[in-house]
Amino acid sequence: MKIAVCIKRVPDTETRIKVAGTKIDETGVKFIANPYDEFAVEAALQLKQKSGGEIVAISLGPDSAQETIRTALAMGADRGVHLKTDGQPYDTLSVAQALAVELKGYDLILLGKMAIDDYNHAMAPALAEILGLPCVSAVTALTIDGAKGTAEREVEGGTEVLSFPLPAVISTDKGLNKPRLPTLPGIMAAKKKPMESKPAALGAARVTVRSLALPPERPAGRIIGEGAAAVPELIRLLQTEAKVL
Amino acid sequence: MTPVAESLYLILLGLAAGFFFYNAQRLVEYLQLGRPDERTDHPLVRARNLISIGILQSKILRDPLAGAMHALVFWGFIVLTVGSVEILIQGVAPAFSYAVLLPAWLYSAYVISQKLFALFVLGAVAWLFYRRLVIRPKRLQGDKLEQWDALLILSMIAALMITLILMNGFGPVAAPVDWHDAMWWTHVLILLTFLNYLPYSKHLHVITSLPNVYLSNTSGPGTVGAMRPMDLEAEGVEQFGASDVKDLPWKNLLDGYSCTECGRCTAACPANLTGKVLSPRKIVINVRERLLEYGGMPTGLIHGEGEHAPDARLLDGYISEEELWQCTSCRACVQECPVSIDQLDTIMELRRNLVLMESRFPAEVQPAFQSLERNGTPWAFNAADRGQWAEGLAIHTMAELSAQGRRPEVLFWVGCAGSFDARAKKITVAFARIMQAAGIDFAILGQEEKCNGDPARRMGNEYLYQMLAKENIGTLNAYGVQTVVTICPHCFHQLGNEYPQLGGHYEVIHHSQYIERLMAEGRVPLSDDNRDERTFTYHDSCYLGRYNNIYDAPRRVLPVVNLVEPTRNKSRGLCCGAGGGRMWMEETQGKRINIERTQELLATGAEAIATACPFCMTMISDGVKANESPVPVYDIAEVVASRLSAGV
Amino acid sequence: MIFAFAESRGTSLRKAAFEAISAARELGDDVHALVVGPSGIAASAQELGAYGAKKVFVCEHAGFAQYNPEATAALLAERVKVGGYRAVVFVSTAQGRDLAPRVAAKLGAAFAPDVTSVATSGDEIVVTHPVYSGKAIAALVLNGAPAVIAARPSTFQPARTDGASPSVETIAPVGDPSASRVVVTELKIGGGGKLDVSEAAIVVSGGRGLKGPEHFNLVEDLAASFGNAAVGASRAVVDAGWRPHSDQVGQTGKVVSPDLYVAVGISGAIQHLAGMRTAKTIVAINRDKDAPIFKVADYGIVGDAFEIVPALAAAVREARRSG
Repeated sequence: MKIAVCIKRVPDTETRIKVAGTKIDETGVKFIANPYDEFAVEAALQLKQKSGGEIVAISLGPDSAQETIRTALAMGADRGVHLKTDGQPYDTLSVAQALAVELKGYDLILLGKMAIDDYNHAMAPALAEILGLPCVSAVTALTIDGAKGTAEREVEGGTEVLSFPLPAVISTDKGLNKPRLPTLPGIMAAKKKPMESKPAALGAARVTVRSLALPPERPAGRIIGEGAAAVPELIRLLQTEAKVL
Repeated sequence: MTPVAESLYLILLGLAAGFFFYNAQRLVEYLQLGRPDERTDHPLVRARNLISIGILQSKILRDPLAGAMHALVFWGFIVLTVGSVEILIQGVAPAFSYAVLLPAWLYSAYVISQKLFALFVLGAVAWLFYRRLVIRPKRLQGDKLEQWDALLILSMIAALMITLILMNGFGPVAAPVDWHDAMWWTHVLILLTFLNYLPYSKHLHVITSLPNVYLSNTSGPGTVGAMRPMDLEAEGVEQFGASDVKDLPWKNLLDGYSCTECGRCTAACPANLTGKVLSPRKIVINVRERLLEYGGMPTGLIHGEGEHAPDARLLDGYISEEELWQCTSCRACVQECPVSIDQLDTIMELRRNLVLMESRFPAEVQPAFQSLERNGTPWAFNAADRGQWAEGLAIHTMAELSAQGRRPEVLFWVGCAGSFDARAKKITVAFARIMQAAGIDFAILGQEEKCNGDPARRMGNEYLYQMLAKENIGTLNAYGVQTVVTICPHCFHQLGNEYPQLGGHYEVIHHSQYIERLMAEGRVPLSDDNRDERTFTYHDSCYLGRYNNIYDAPRRVLPVVNLVEPTRNKSRGLCCGAGGGRMWMEETQGKRINIERTQELLATGAEAIATACPFCMTMISDGVKANESPVPVYDIAEVVASRLSAGV
Repeated sequence: MIFAFAESRGTSLRKAAFEAISAARELGDDVHALVVGPSGIAASAQELGAYGAKKVFVCEHAGFAQYNPEATAALLAERVKVGGYRAVVFVSTAQGRDLAPRVAAKLGAAFAPDVTSVATSGDEIVVTHPVYSGKAIAALVLNGAPAVIAARPSTFQPARTDGASPSVETIAPVGDPSASRVVVTELKIGGGGKLDVSEAAIVVSGGRGLKGPEHFNLVEDLAASFGNAAVGASRAVVDAGWRPHSDQVGQTGKVVSPDLYVAVGISGAIQHLAGMRTAKTIVAINRDKDAPIFKVADYGIVGDAFEIVPALAAAVREARRSG
C-alpha cells in the first residue's frame, strides 16, 4: 500500500509567544512536528506493519521542514519529499494545491486534522476536493480492509461511523493512537533515508495576515472568599453582575 | 606411595587439571563474547588498588569483624597455596619438600606459617559458620542455592584445614604418623575437587577477584563515577546500551565471575533497604548466570533471586525494567564492593538500551525528556526565564561582559534547580551574595545556559544528553570559559568529570569548596556573631561525596557551633533518593527513600539540617514536612550568607 | 448577499444554524440560508427566517438522513456559484470543519475558520481568528468573492429578528446523494443525551483537585443544579482515565466559550486556559490560593471543593427556584 503522510513544522506552543509584525518572533522558539501529524505517521506505520507498503513523508516549508521530515523517517517512514517555500505560507488552499501536485497515485493520504500554529482545521477536506478523492476528517478510529475503510469521528454529543473507498484522504485526531517514540537506531537510520527537495508550486493566496496581536488582557479577577461561606456572595454576583443565573 | 597409587595420583591430577583448564578456557571465551573494553591505562593507580583493596583488603575491612575474618582466610589462602604446591608435588615425589630449596631459617618460618595459618583459617571458618547459621545477618539470607554454596565452601575449607593440621601437626604436637597418607590423600582430593568446584560456585572469586580489582575503574583509574562514553556517530554500530550479556563490555562480565554474593552492595542500596526489588547483587549474579547459560555451561550453584525463563535475554528475562528504574545512581553499591565490581555501570548500560533502542521508560519521564529537548530544562519552565532570579542583584551575563570585551574570573553555573525552583533560587542568591561580598568577578550564562544533561544521561537517554552537553560545551568554549563554580553537585560532576568526554575541559569547583577557598583567603567578611548557635547535622550529597570524595569542605565551611553526624555519613551516607533521574519518577514500592533518610537525620536531635545540593534540599525538605517536624533545612551557602557582616 | 449554511441533524436544526445566520448578518442584511436533510426538514425553514434569513433554500432527500459531506458540499458550491454571493458562512462545528473547506476548495475561495469577528472594509472582508493555542489573534484579509468563513461556535449569538417570513425555495440535490463515496453508516449518541461541552451555555469542569474519579459526582451534581450545564474535565483527569476525552477542555481538547465556566479543583495550567479563557464569566474553586486559575477567574473561592461545591449546588438550585 502506498501511503503519504503530510507533516508540518510548527512552533512549540508551550513557549511564550512574542509577536513581530505579522509573524511570531522566532528567537528562542523550539520547533516541533505538529502533534496531530504524528498521529497520522503512527497510523501509517501501523498499516504498513499489517499489510506492507511504502510510507512517504511530505512537508511544505523552508529548508527547516526537512528536520520535521526526518522525525517521521525516524519513526519509520521510508522516504521524504520536501516542498520548498520561503517561510511558511498561511493560505490553506494555496498550500493544498502545492501538496496536491505531489500526492498523485497514493492509496491513502494521512495528515493531522489541524496544525497547532494556524488552527485552520482545513487541509484534509481542501486537499481531497482538489484531488477529487473521498475524505474523512478528524478520525479517532480507522480500519482499512483492502480497498475499503471505516472510520469514526467525534461530533457534538456522539460519534459518527463512516465508510469510504480507497484511495482517500484522512485527517487524524487525538485518541486515534499513541505515536511511537523514535529509537536511536531509527534516528540514525533516518539520516540515510532518501529525501528529495523541490520547489513548491503554491496556488494563488487569497488570505493574507494583516496583523498578529496578543489577546487583550482580561481584567484581574478577584477572590471573593474562603470556603462554603463565600457561596452566597458568589450567587449574588452571578445574578447581579455576571447575569448568568 | 606405591607406584599404583602414584599413577592413580597422576591420572587424578591430570583429570582435575584438565577439567579445570577446560572450564577456565570456557570462562575466558565467554568473556570474549562481550564488547571490547580498554583497561590497560593508569597502571600505577591500578597496581596501588590491587595492593590496597586486594592484598590489604581495605574495602572488606569496612565491616570490621567479618572483614577481619575474611582477611584471615584470604591471607591464609595465599600462604597455604604455597604449601598446596608442595603437597601436590609430593604426590609424585613423596620426599619432596621446600627444605631442599630454602635456607633452613626460611623453611622453618614456612612450616610455622602453614601451621599457624591453618589454625587461623580454621578459627575464622568456625566463626563464619557461626555467623551463617546462628547470627544470620540479613544480607546473607535469601537465596537457598547461595546458602548451600556458602556452607559447602566453608565445609571444604574446614576439611582442608583439618586434614592439613592432621597431616602436619600443630605447634609442638606432631601429627599421628599413620594418618599422614590418609590425610594427604583426603587433602589432595578435597583440594582438586575444590579447584574444579570453583567455576560452579561464587568462590570463583578466589581466582578472578584480584584481576578484577586491578582491571576495575571504580577507584581511580580515569575519572571516578563518569559514565561510560558512547560514540553515537560510530559507523555500523547497531546496538546502543545492553539488552543481553553479549552487549556488555567484557569487564562487566568479569564482574559477574568475581561476585562473592556477600550482599554488602544490596545492604547499602537505598532502594533495597526501603523495600524495593532492586538488588545490585542480584544484577551482578544475573549477569554471570545468563552468561553461563548463553555460553552453554551449567550454572551450578549460581542463582540470582527470582525465576528466569529458559534462554531469555538478560533484560526482562532476568532483570526487570522495574528494578532498573529504581536505582538512584548513589554509588553506595560500588563503594562497598570488596572486589571492585561496578554494578552501576551494568545498570546504566541496560537503561541505555531501554531508552535508546526500545523507547521504554516510565510514562512520567516523557514530559521531562520533552522539556529537556524543547526548553533545555527537565522542568516545564520557560527557557527565557532562566536568568530572572538575578534581577536587581547587579549580576552580569557572559554575553553582556563579552560585548564589553571583558571576561570574568569565574563563571557561576547556576543549573536548572537553582534557576527555576522557588526554594533553590534562594541558594543561588545566597551564594551570589557571598561571592559579591568576597569581591569575586563572576558572571552567569543566563538564558544561554541549558541543563547540563545529567538527568537525561542517568536515565539512559544518551542521545538527548549529548545534544545538551555539546550545546553547553559550544557556549562555554565560545566564551573561553576556564573556571566554573556551581551550587549543584550534579552540574559539578557533569561539567568537571563527564564533559571532557565531549571536548569540554574546565576547572570546576563546587560552592562548598569555593567558599572554603575564599574563607581560607580571608575574603569572606563574617560578622562578629559568626556562628549559628543551633546544633546542625549535615547530609552528604552522593554526587559530592561518593562520586568526588568531597566530605570535609562542606563541614568545614558551616559556621556552626555544633555539628552532629547521622548514623550513616560520609562514604556511607544514605542517598536522598533523587539521583539517577528519580527526581522525575514516581516511587511506587516500599518506603520513600527521602523519608528514610530524613528520619535518620532527625534522629540526631539536630535543630537544623544542612545540605549542599538543591536535589537533596528538595527531598529532605519534603521528608521533614512529611514527618511534621519544624526542623529547618538550609543549604550551606545560606548558613554562611546569614553570617555575613552587615552591609554586604 | 450573504449565504449561510444551516446545520441540522435529522429533522432538527442545530444551534449552529442560527449562529451562522447571526454571523452572516454582520456582513450584510440580505442573508440566504441553505438547509439539507431527510423528509421533514422543510418545516424548519420558517424558524431560520425568525432569526434573520430572508430566503431559505431547502433540499429534502433520504440521502441526507445523516451527514453527507460530498452531496452537501456539491449542492452548496453550486448554489453559491449560481447566486453570486459575497460570502458563505458556516460554524466551525465538527460538521462545519469538514464541510467548509470542501466548499472553499470547490469555489477556489479565500477561507478562514474558527472566526471570532467579521467586518467589511470596502471590498475586503476582515476576520479575526485565534492562533497558537489562543495565545495570539490573527487579523486576516479575505480577498475575492465569494469568501468562505466558518465562525467559532458560541461566538455569534443567535438573535431573533422581527423580519417578515422568509421566502422558501425547494431545490434538488446535485447528483444523487445516495451515491456519495463517504457514507455515515451510524451516529452513536454518547452517554444518553449528554450535553456536549462545546455546546452548553454553562460548563462545570473538574480537575485533579477532586482526588479521584468517584468524586466527579460533585461536579455532575453542580452541573445539574444549573439546569443544562455540561461537565468538562481537565487534561490531567482525562489522561488519568477518570473522564472520556470528549469531555476534555483545553488546548488539546475542546475550546469552549460558554456564558459561565466553573473550574473545580483545576490549577489553571496554560493548556487548560487556552480552552476556556474566552468564557464570559469564569468561577474558580481551588484550595491553593496561588493557583494560576485565580488570575483569570472573575470570581474565585479558596477552599475545599468537597465543602464548597455541594453548598454551591444547593444555593444555585435555590436561586433558580426562587428567581
